[in-house]
Amino acid sequence: MRAEARFFKSLSDETRLKILWLLSGTEELCVCDIIDVLRITQSKASRHLRYLYHLGWVTDRRDGLWMNYRLCVPPGSPGEKLLKLLEELLAPQPEAQALRGQMALCLQTKRNTECARKLKSSQKRSPQGLTET
Amino acid sequence: MRLSGYQIDMKKEAQLFKSLADETRLKMLWLLMGREELCVCDIMGVLGTTQSKASRHLRYLYHLGWVTDRRDGVWMNYRLSIAPGSPEDKQLKCLAEILSSRPEAQALRDRLEQWLAAKGQGKEGAAACQCS
Repeated sequence: MRAEARFFKSLSDETRLKILWLLSGTEELCVCDIIDVLRITQSKASRHLRYLYHLGWVTDRRDGLWMNYRLCVPPGSPGEKLLKLLEELLAPQPEAQALRGQMALCLQTKRNTECARKLKSSQKRSPQGLTET
Repeated sequence: MRLSGYQIDMKKEAQLFKSLADETRLKMLWLLMGREELCVCDIMGVLGTTQSKASRHLRYLYHLGWVTDRRDGVWMNYRLSIAPGSPEDKQLKCLAEILSSRPEAQALRDRLEQWLAAKGQGKEGAAACQCS
């Protein structure tokens, strides 16, 4: 019954618990988002994410320099049951909600910065582009 | 003032899952769930662990409020003592759901029944521990 204990072990570390909680609240996260919100080093974030990857909690997708992770627990699997339990236990906790709020803010800021950057580069390429639209 | 992600303390929540993060403790809780009360010697016999290991894990569970103890001669007896609807209760329900489809988990409970039958205690639980 080592496999079952290992599933519970995934949740028994504060950093991994936070990562799984954040991933279950969104579709996909970049390692950089997790670093930003939890203020941990890249090596710590990657180490925990690889741990979760090897236990089958998450899948990865490379995007340039960064890795993106998303949950991949099949319906009815022990992982899915534990995530439901996690949701039930953490949803009423203000700290847990605050953490998801921080992530939402981080993603919003990133999107705004990206939009501003794209706008700037499109202005450089075709200054008349903006007046036309 | 808003807290940053790293300042948000979720140690307590992580601690909750630690009891089940160890294979021996997970097995002990699984066995206790199936019976009213168990003696340390039953757990030792079924799991094949030393007394010191069994007692150490049971004291860990005792201090976190999972179980209560009752002394019976030289042996300690333990039973689950978790409030319905508590986080611990929810975890045990989740564990039962996960283990219900595992043959290994069922085999472990069967082994406990055989052990208790061999001890001559039948199904009434560890009323008087006679092991030495």
